[in-house]
Amino acid sequence: MGADLYLAEDTLLGDDFLRQLMSVGEVDLLVAIPSYNNASTIKQTVQAVEESYQQNFIRERVVILNVDGGSTDHTTDVVSTMDGRRNVGYRGLTSLRTVHRVTTQYAKSPSPGMALRTVLATADLLRARSCAIVSPTTTNLDASWIANLLRPAYRQNFEFVAPLYARSRYQGLLARNLLYPMSRALFGRRIREMYSEEWGFSGRLATQCLSQNVWNDEAIRVRPEAWMALTAICSDFKCCQSFLGPRLPPAAAGGIDIVEAIRQTVSSLFRYLEIYQDHWLDRTGSQEVPTFGPDHELSADGKPSNQEKIFGMFRNGVAELDPILASILTPDTHAQIKEIATLDPSSFRFGFELWVKTLYEFATSYHHAVINRDHVVQALVPLYRGRMYSFFLEHADSSPEEIEADSEILCLEFERQKPYLVERWKAKS
Amino acid sequence: MKEMIVQGLEQAYQNLVHMLAEFLPRFVVMLVIILAGLLVAYALKYVLRGLLHLTKLDRLSEEAGASRMLRMAALPSMTEVLSRSIFWVTLLGFILIGISVLGVAGLQEQISRLLQLLPEIVVAILILFLGLIIANFFSRAALLAAVNAGYASPKMLSWSIRFVIWILAISMALEELGVARQTVIAAFSIVFGALMLGLAIAFGLGGQNLARGFLERYLSDKKSEKTEEPQPL
Repeated sequence: MGADLYLAEDTLLGDDFLRQLMSVGEVDLLVAIPSYNNASTIKQTVQAVEESYQQNFIRERVVILNVDGGSTDHTTDVVSTMDGRRNVGYRGLTSLRTVHRVTTQYAKSPSPGMALRTVLATADLLRARSCAIVSPTTTNLDASWIANLLRPAYRQNFEFVAPLYARSRYQGLLARNLLYPMSRALFGRRIREMYSEEWGFSGRLATQCLSQNVWNDEAIRVRPEAWMALTAICSDFKCCQSFLGPRLPPAAAGGIDIVEAIRQTVSSLFRYLEIYQDHWLDRTGSQEVPTFGPDHELSADGKPSNQEKIFGMFRNGVAELDPILASILTPDTHAQIKEIATLDPSSFRFGFELWVKTLYEFATSYHHAVINRDHVVQALVPLYRGRMYSFFLEHADSSPEEIEADSEILCLEFERQKPYLVERWKAKS
Repeated sequence: MKEMIVQGLEQAYQNLVHMLAEFLPRFVVMLVIILAGLLVAYALKYVLRGLLHLTKLDRLSEEAGASRMLRMAALPSMTEVLSRSIFWVTLLGFILIGISVLGVAGLQEQISRLLQLLPEIVVAILILFLGLIIANFFSRAALLAAVNAGYASPKMLSWSIRFVIWILAISMALEELGVARQTVIAAFSIVFGALMLGLAIAFGLGGQNLARGFLERYLSDKKSEKTEEPQPL
């Protein structure tokens, strides 16, 4: 442990919090629950973690860590005062050790990056071997989810554990059409869920991430989870995926809309391309990662009711943002997008080749900062809506298998066009 | 009577010839000075451009974020801005010197006053430049936010914001120059209300999530509206 790390812990963890941690001592497993005004749901989350400890990790030294971003609804009080050991574990067994519960307020306003940094510093201080982060907004989280996130790092020496979820076919389209295929093509690992609220990691990865001086970077402050995955990938750490269960739509207050989701995730992905450019510029192809449980599960459900409105927003966006798109895209790509915007809604298609080329041009325009970077990312929103509408039409009657097969073709298209991105990336602005 | 008229005309003619004889050489000198100034300005522009390319100023400007600001204001690169500026400043200087050679009564004084105003002119230009950048940034932010939120007439909103900020910048620049102070203050007072409205709209659209988070913190029982689009993540 370096001097820098001691300094980080000294300034990051308050005296009261350190006292709590000293009474806990070293642990094998740590589950962290970042919270912000989650008093109504956090009790259920803590119970699920305790249940998992009691069922699956009877002999291990364990701790539950609640890092709070300045809740005003007494979330931390709920965690501190709730009864422990409510349920008898599997086959009547309960944990042989105390299930410690520790709470701390890391800031007066929520910051995912700061919350993660506090968790990493705690994991490092307590020398936890395996850690997991879970969200109190995930209402269907149960004991098996925790075990599935902790086990690969604890028992099989994996360093990063990405979650896998069962989804409805129209859920997570941003991940399916952009985040997963693009990060897979560029970073070379087939990890489906880099932007999720649950994931697991080893103590070694925690220490590695903690030692990096990146915490003032906006992308890491807002969406640190993908950065952790990419740190593991770029450090050649062992990664895996673990199936958790169905991902339910979050509660109204917890969900983010498309614009905010794109601003957060795509901005951070483009930023990570810069941070890790030495890693991906010369890499080709992609590798599978070990997966525990099914690697995907899609359920059929009803079509979105507002498809025409989504297409209208795409068409309107292409027209209204014409000068902005002209400064981001090449004339050829821009012309093709304007051309498909004139198509009849029923015959509209935003093909893979054009979609991938568009995204790569957006990434390079972000890199070269042709205009304000946040504006570059926001200008992508109407085009994503076009791709989303195209997805609705392409898969109106597709089976889950057909959708998966089509997604694989999109991933391969991202890999095929990667040299185009590299060429533009290296070119002067 | 007739003789007096003829004499008057002859006198006027002689005065005109005399004036022209005095003025024309000065005018030619002025033209020569301006022409020389044009050549010197062009020479300085190309020399400075070459020097700045050699010093890789554009790269430094890119790293410092200044180029991004220039692009936001739809201006060329830093090298180009500086070399063009030196061209116009040099040419303006030669034009003023040339005009002073004409020896027109009162003009000399005006030119020296103009030269005294130079610092204010530079500050006014800076204000206009910043106004341009800010107007461009906020109008584009509002356009993007309005388009992405599906609001009607996003361009009108964007142009309104740009216009209001321009008006403010021009008012401030004129105020700095001391031109029509009373009018500028009155115009500013009128425009200020409109500007605040424009900024409120820009913030309301651009920072709607921030505002929503703020409101949710204080009105935690009021949930935000769920988007009609499928959950993206």
